[in-house]
Amino acid sequence: MAALPLIVAGQSSGAARVPRAADGKPDLTGVWQGGSNRIGTWEEANAGGGTNATTGQVTPFAVRGAQEKAPYQPWAAQKVLESFNRRGIDDPMARCLSPGVPRTTTMGLFPMQILQTPKTIVMLFEVFHVFRVIQIDAKHPDDLEASFMGDSVGHWEGDTLVVDAIGFNDKTWLAGTGTFHSEKLHVIEKFTRMDENTIAYEVTMEDPEVLTKPWVQRSTIMLRPGTRLREYECVENNTDLDRYEKLLKDEKVFRRN
Amino acid sequence: MVYETVYKFNRLHTGLTRGAIPFMLSRMTRARNLPFASAVLLLAAGASASAHHSFGAEYDANKPIILTGTVTKVEWTNPHSFFYLDVKDAAGKIVNWKLEGFPPNVLYRTGWKKDVTIRQGDEVTVTGWHARDGGDWGHSREVTFKDGKKLFFGPPAGTGDGGAAPSVAVPSK
Repeated sequence: MAALPLIVAGQSSGAARVPRAADGKPDLTGVWQGGSNRIGTWEEANAGGGTNATTGQVTPFAVRGAQEKAPYQPWAAQKVLESFNRRGIDDPMARCLSPGVPRTTTMGLFPMQILQTPKTIVMLFEVFHVFRVIQIDAKHPDDLEASFMGDSVGHWEGDTLVVDAIGFNDKTWLAGTGTFHSEKLHVIEKFTRMDENTIAYEVTMEDPEVLTKPWVQRSTIMLRPGTRLREYECVENNTDLDRYEKLLKDEKVFRRN
Repeated sequence: MVYETVYKFNRLHTGLTRGAIPFMLSRMTRARNLPFASAVLLLAAGASASAHHSFGAEYDANKPIILTGTVTKVEWTNPHSFFYLDVKDAAGKIVNWKLEGFPPNVLYRTGWKKDVTIRQGDEVTVTGWHARDGGDWGHSREVTFKDGKKLFFGPPAGTGDGGAAPSVAVPSK
């Protein structure tokens, strides 16, 4: 498992290297890449993966530590496993639907941008143009309707931004193929800027309908200097669904078992 | 002019549980057999970043391909881009391959420019993975241009495949 720095809210060691906002809070402003632990520009951090054309050797795109297995209830675990065996052909993102929380943050293929003021933190995601508006020290609205990205409010615990999110529909995956959830999903995220380049990210997912206990995942979100968000309009030429339809006529072609 | 076309297709067709044995389907000007280790590494790559669409349902990470040919068309589109390559097969017949890859946002970020970097008539070599249905299409990874420049047109194998292991423990039967 990848070694992650111990996160202590309000810790002061290394604080000099953490950029700070005018109000003294760590400044999370910048363009970032989740699901990675490589320092550098986007190009530097994402080079080196893939196939060596001469040797045929393949190296992974992003380095990740081992994660705890998702603590699904037995019936729900079967459902997750079925999605895995179907190789993700049922992925809601293939239908261009918003990826949900925390998947939008951790998927890693596309950058995210954080804008911070003392009262509001905005997260913009290149993937499908998704956004999160996080009011600080606010309460969730009383009239929440189930949605793909839910409703997020935040507060600071020392130097850690804690974001609480509820109000989700049941149409997204959490983190990995088939990791479905119910509308009772409750997500608590901790963003701790460790240094110039790194946010330590810890996410706790609670869902009494499908999980046996809270599911905790830890990863890092890395600063990507010089990167800007671009357009990613998913539905322009999504030919995959037609191809999936053909594949689904004979699942033997793609099923794991 | 007639391009010297290299068509290489390394098929690891036996499945990893029984051991992967590469064999060459067609004629080659320079044999570059994929080592056994590559199959294992392909599996490791499956644990990488999750993507937009399932790689695994459509493409087989155990069937790497290396194709050299002439670009006939480029589709610079969301959510995925494509380019088409005329490749001479083992019998000398020209086959038009369709190669899937990144959306434009990622291509721009990784060094491509629309209508500049890759154009109709260019001769390129592309590594990637074959479609499960065995058709003349695949998922692209690295494109090598005639001047030796290399750029990624698509993500690694296994992207969006669910990874090498499920997110849940597999219950014993």
